[in-house]
Amino acid sequence: MTEPFVSIHQLTVQYKNQNVLHGLSLVLNKGEHLLLGGESGSGKTTLAKAIAEVDGKEEHIKINFDSDSLLPAKAIYISSWYQFTNLEGDRNFYYQQRYNKHQGQDTLTVQAELEHYARQEGLDLASIEDRIKALGFEDTKLSQLIELSSGEHKKLQLIKGLWSKPQLLLIDDPYTGLDAQSRITLNAWLDDLAQEGVQLILISNDQQLPEAINRFAHIVDGQIHDVESSGKLSKSKGRTRMKLPDFLSEMPNAPYKTIASLKNVSIRYGEKEVLKDVSWEVKVGEKWLLQGPNGSGKSTLLSLINGDHPQSYGLDISLFDNKRGSGESIWDIKEKIGIISPEMHWYFDQNATVWHTIASGFYDSIGWFVDVKFQEKQKIEELLAFFGLSEFKDQLLVTLPLGKQRLALLARTIIKNPPLLVLDEPCQGLDTEQTQYFNDVVDELAHHGKTLIYVGHYESLLPSCIEHRIVLEKGKVKAIEDILENVE
Amino acid sequence: MANYFNTLPLREQLNQLGIAEFMNSSEFADGVEALKGKKIVIVGAGAQGLNQGLNLRDSGLNISYALRKEAIEQKRDSWKNATDNNFTVGTYEELIPTADLVINLTPDKQHTSVVNAVMPLMKQGATLSYSHGFNIVEEGMQIRKDITVIMVAPKCPGSEVRAEYLRGFGVPTLIAVHPENDPQGKGLAEAKAYCVGTGGHRAGVLKSSFVAEVKSDLMGEQTILCGLLQTGSILSFDKMIAKGIDAGYASKLVQYGVEVITEALKHGGVTGMLDRLSNPAKVKAFELSEELKGIMRPLFQKHQDDIMSGEFSKTMMEDWNNGDANLLKWRAETGETAFEKTPAGDVKIAEQEYFDNYLLMVAFVRAGVELAFETMVEAGIKPESAYYESLHETPLIANTIARKKLFEMNRVISDTAEYGCYLFDQACKPLLKDFMTKIDTDVVGKNFNAGKDAGVDNVKLVQINEVLRNHPVEVVGRELRKAMTAMKTIKTI
Repeated sequence: MTEPFVSIHQLTVQYKNQNVLHGLSLVLNKGEHLLLGGESGSGKTTLAKAIAEVDGKEEHIKINFDSDSLLPAKAIYISSWYQFTNLEGDRNFYYQQRYNKHQGQDTLTVQAELEHYARQEGLDLASIEDRIKALGFEDTKLSQLIELSSGEHKKLQLIKGLWSKPQLLLIDDPYTGLDAQSRITLNAWLDDLAQEGVQLILISNDQQLPEAINRFAHIVDGQIHDVESSGKLSKSKGRTRMKLPDFLSEMPNAPYKTIASLKNVSIRYGEKEVLKDVSWEVKVGEKWLLQGPNGSGKSTLLSLINGDHPQSYGLDISLFDNKRGSGESIWDIKEKIGIISPEMHWYFDQNATVWHTIASGFYDSIGWFVDVKFQEKQKIEELLAFFGLSEFKDQLLVTLPLGKQRLALLARTIIKNPPLLVLDEPCQGLDTEQTQYFNDVVDELAHHGKTLIYVGHYESLLPSCIEHRIVLEKGKVKAIEDILENVE
Repeated sequence: MANYFNTLPLREQLNQLGIAEFMNSSEFADGVEALKGKKIVIVGAGAQGLNQGLNLRDSGLNISYALRKEAIEQKRDSWKNATDNNFTVGTYEELIPTADLVINLTPDKQHTSVVNAVMPLMKQGATLSYSHGFNIVEEGMQIRKDITVIMVAPKCPGSEVRAEYLRGFGVPTLIAVHPENDPQGKGLAEAKAYCVGTGGHRAGVLKSSFVAEVKSDLMGEQTILCGLLQTGSILSFDKMIAKGIDAGYASKLVQYGVEVITEALKHGGVTGMLDRLSNPAKVKAFELSEELKGIMRPLFQKHQDDIMSGEFSKTMMEDWNNGDANLLKWRAETGETAFEKTPAGDVKIAEQEYFDNYLLMVAFVRAGVELAFETMVEAGIKPESAYYESLHETPLIANTIARKKLFEMNRVISDTAEYGCYLFDQACKPLLKDFMTKIDTDVVGKNFNAGKDAGVDNVKLVQINEVLRNHPVEVVGRELRKAMTAMKTIKTI
């Protein structure tokens, strides 16, 4: 075939009167599988969406689908962000909703969603049973969409997209939230698809890629440039470390010895047991790593500590030396905790500006806040500067590139200088430089007496202060161990 | 049992109708203190019961659920709701005798039997809470004199009560103390603490009375909220079909249009809703709604009169005693309307298009909101109460229509609202017959602005804007909405 598969000529895309892509041209030949990497906010997602014509026809882009191919002549884009609706079409969810049980379903089950998709796309459910098993996803089939963890949601999106086998498949952040094993499984599946004639465009800054990837590029100043390998992709400028704002080096006032103590805790939804007989103690000042495959119960465990789980009452749980259900309110608990999680990010208030987002951290509210005091305003300004977000402070959070949204939410997490930091995959969506930078900040905060519970899948991307590890598997504690050497 | 309101002298009727005090947030400084350590038992674990209980427990209060023996034995949904969330659940006999506060969150129609079962078990000096005053005011339920009777009524569905609380906010709430049952004078303190426990104090609280709540709630729900939205939806759909608009499009426009249109109402009142139209469209919507107000005013007044005299509740309770014969018949008829049976088409309708192509509904909503408000205020209800029961709730009902159309709306709202809704709808349609013959697709189904130049007369537009903006529902609405969004609107620096 002589004609290129994808040809883009002089593509310019504006966002808010600024050129994101500026006269971008690209020729992608048949059999070229592209990795698009580089800095957060450089326009990668914009380009992928334009190619897949997510927002309508784009005349500067031409795709020559092969009419002789058995594969569907279309481009499918899997976003790093997804939306699902409840059975009545609403998207008005809150991040704790998956723990608040009531009779009657809010959202489709995974099985129903897959069946619906199969009908819509004319696919055969039996043909991917093996893939579903390989991804460790078969146990979740009867769960409602709202009950899925972040990693499980990612898997569902990937399964749907890969199952369709389109001639062109674009995936934005394919690995975000996936556990290490699932990532290997995914890469193998992508390689199989490439063999069958699916052409891949992946947006990622990861190094562990499908073997099929044979072209690397990044976007600089709105134009695309090829590079030799994933190691040569542009990176966020090595940030000059600013001094940590003084208010964050104040030692927390901790009139308690134990942060959390759970004894033989089980959580079940009907027949399904998501935590089984879990016992765990976190003492003041300890730095913990919480690990486990997707769906092993990590977020549920954290929800017990953050006062987010209604079943906490009646279980043997003490928080901050205080028996749960002894008259404390969830706001008394949350006051002492700075938390971030992928779920909180998804369901965050769509109307919040960056400034509002950070300010809400003083009150543990999701986007709303009462009148902010003068000292608090000063702290917000200091943190905005510290994270390089000052120029974005009046923009809506959701309009920023994902990496910057994350930084703003991280700022929200630490703004009140809480004694306990619960960081559930805090660096999702950050590139390697940003991750390194953030983990350095965590290490510095840890020096100042904070207790830390950190969830991260990849050993290479953890803060070095971690000293203990708890590993969950299918809701059970698989291991509790000390880490003698710092994780590097 | 005699209608409580009708036993009162006029002076006291007016006094209780006129209680409406928008509370200052500083009045909630004591938090949940008045209920701390007290034993609180909720009767009923449906949407309101379960979600309020979850909030109250998360605020540090001691909550358990009393259910009827059969509900527990048969493991009904209410039992599952409560036990799945690790609440203590027991029978009335097991839990009520030790309760300091009993919160009745069962459906209105069950109140008499529930209260009759619960009251003999309640300990001396305990408190009984309602979320709607129908049982006390219209049915005339007499509560033992040692018991304190309060009302706490969040003005949103139960799921929202939970969602807003967990976001760190709350929903607007109405509280009241029954003057016949406040022997220790603790009613208000407990109602406020309960309100804080559900998060309501963050979103604006109106201190009302049982009488004012019932008389305004009934009026709102049967006229603007359910009745008029039903009439307007059906007439609009039928008109479009008669004029050859695609049925799938018409169905979608009507099902979702009212929600999109009233979303503007929620944020900016009637003014905000009309401001979404072009100038010529606004003039047209204004003229249509003026005409509608003239036609429908006597019907609104009749509904208010029947509510005040007790005629409405008397008729409805007769139907209750007759096995809901009328209610079920009318409900079935609603299910048979062409709108109900035509599924929404798979067409994309942009947000602005719902305004431009459904101007008639904008006119219906303005007419209905203003008429309901005016009629209530003329009857002695305070503007604050009238606002909550008209404008404030319209988007919530519109949301239920968007979810599953009218049959479902009627099933979801209370039986009281549903019964009144049908009465209104049956009387309103014939009234609007002549009006509707003049209506064409330019105001329902097609873009009003198409092919028109955008010019309007300056003076006329200024006059219309003034009438809209200075209406009392707008004046009080601006104040009340400030409290609801106080936390959202604070500007940065």
